[in-house]
Amino acid sequence: MPVRFESGLARTLVLGVAAVAVVLAFDGAVHLLMAQNPFGGPRPPAAAEPQIGGIVGWILARQSEFYREISATIRAAKSDGSAVWTLLAISFAYGIFHAAGPGHGKAVISSYLVASQETARRGIVLSFASALMQSLVAVVIVAICAWLLNATASTMCNAEKMIEIASYALIAAFGARLVWTKGGGFIRALQVQRPVPAMAAAQQYHRDHRHDHDHDDDHGHVDDAHDGHSHGPVPSELEGPGGWRRGLAAILTVGVRPCSGAILVLVFALAQGLFWAGIAATFVMGLGTAITVATIAVIAVSAKDVARWLSGAGEGGGTLVMRGIEFGAAGLVLLLGAGLLFGYLAAERVTCL
Amino acid sequence: MSVAARCRSSLLLAGLLMAGNGLAQAHPHVWITAVSELLYAPDGSISGVRHAWTFDDMFSTYALQGIETKQKGVYSREELGSLAQTNVESLHEFAFFTFAKADGKKQKFNEPVDYYLEYKNTALTLHFTLPLKTPVKPKELVLEVFDPAFFIDFKLAEKDPVKLVGAPEGCQMKLQRPSDGTASAQKLNEQTFMGDGANANYGAMFANKITVECP
Repeated sequence: MPVRFESGLARTLVLGVAAVAVVLAFDGAVHLLMAQNPFGGPRPPAAAEPQIGGIVGWILARQSEFYREISATIRAAKSDGSAVWTLLAISFAYGIFHAAGPGHGKAVISSYLVASQETARRGIVLSFASALMQSLVAVVIVAICAWLLNATASTMCNAEKMIEIASYALIAAFGARLVWTKGGGFIRALQVQRPVPAMAAAQQYHRDHRHDHDHDDDHGHVDDAHDGHSHGPVPSELEGPGGWRRGLAAILTVGVRPCSGAILVLVFALAQGLFWAGIAATFVMGLGTAITVATIAVIAVSAKDVARWLSGAGEGGGTLVMRGIEFGAAGLVLLLGAGLLFGYLAAERVTCL
Repeated sequence: MSVAARCRSSLLLAGLLMAGNGLAQAHPHVWITAVSELLYAPDGSISGVRHAWTFDDMFSTYALQGIETKQKGVYSREELGSLAQTNVESLHEFAFFTFAKADGKKQKFNEPVDYYLEYKNTALTLHFTLPLKTPVKPKELVLEVFDPAFFIDFKLAEKDPVKLVGAPEGCQMKLQRPSDGTASAQKLNEQTFMGDGANANYGAMFANKITVECP
């Protein structure tokens, strides 16, 4: 444990850097929150007429293409049943590209995974489960509103809006809970940095709690069993049955809001008398979405693992950095939820025209 | 690696991770093909803008969901009346996606008038007139039609997208269309990702800019 016995200067440095990290993360989030306000006035066009470029431009172009082909393919399927296969293929591709845009829980799932020391495997399961739920919700909304009740688009849109608001509130609540638990861990990690008397207490704490986290070993987080363990959740909240309940909260939070694209496709299919094809397309789309979200979730978890290695977890400074990252990720979920809820941030706005 | 260096690198990584997480790029679900007319008063001042916006196939069908008609698949102007009203009322929230500047000064619009919907060739077209709050007679008028958040993709019609109705002699019009994604996809622009508040201008990248210069 070289860090703990280094000079006060080193400790101060570590603390400072950790603080900067949190500030940076929050600044980035706030920036993001302020950037996209659909209700704001027109923004002055940039002087140099920025071009939409690179990967983002390419993804946008692809997903627009796929989406616009969906309606043509559904029409074609009316007379030619084999077009349904084309429809499924396009929907799958659309799902993959589409999820690269906001509103499919990438940010929430990734931040959640980073905040709560989850494994990549669980990230994948969460991504698929939430995408499946998103598809289900879309099908249920259209089946009830359009098919059973023959409600108008504006009624359906209002229902969507309500679900949207509820889902943002859920994200905010979920984030608040994460901040609450992670805040405790971060503060304790800060205390570990204090001079010797406090250190001793922390060491004591460390020993007491060590066995609670040994199961992390099963999931490849060998470091976790040795890294000072000052994160907040009580043991029942980690893996095991309690952990799955917590995972379920993440799935519900992300999955309750359906993708507007799926709703449009379903209503369109229904109008063409091919509702079942729309349902199939929606689930295939969800599968594509899940693949993208899972990929990003795995990248997030791996990046955190690299960060753990770089910061030399096991040393006091490393623990602080890791707890700081977790705290920052938790804060990001809260900010995302609050930003979406209060309209500072636009994900996939439900378009009620 | 020294502790400080390790910390720095891991924090950098964490920062990148979070920035990447949050990088939200909107994508459209609604496509509109726009035809617009600039309306001039007899004295040569601009009195307003008349739009005809045609929605894409999918959104048109979605919007028509649940609307009762006498004849299946045929929608009269009257039958679409309440939907048209809902449309213009909702558009208010988004400043009608129409942004005008007269000699660099932002102009305001009154509530739309003469609005109706038309259903033709499986597509809905919304017609409406936006009167300027105060008619202007500028040397240069810049009119932009776009969704700043880019949930709606506006595209000016291929043919005769803008007409000057009753404009004085010698007025010149210029059109600037958004570059489509495919053409510029090869150009990786760092500003798109790293620029300060890059997202703020996100929709503006897709703006349709109409400039009219009069003597």
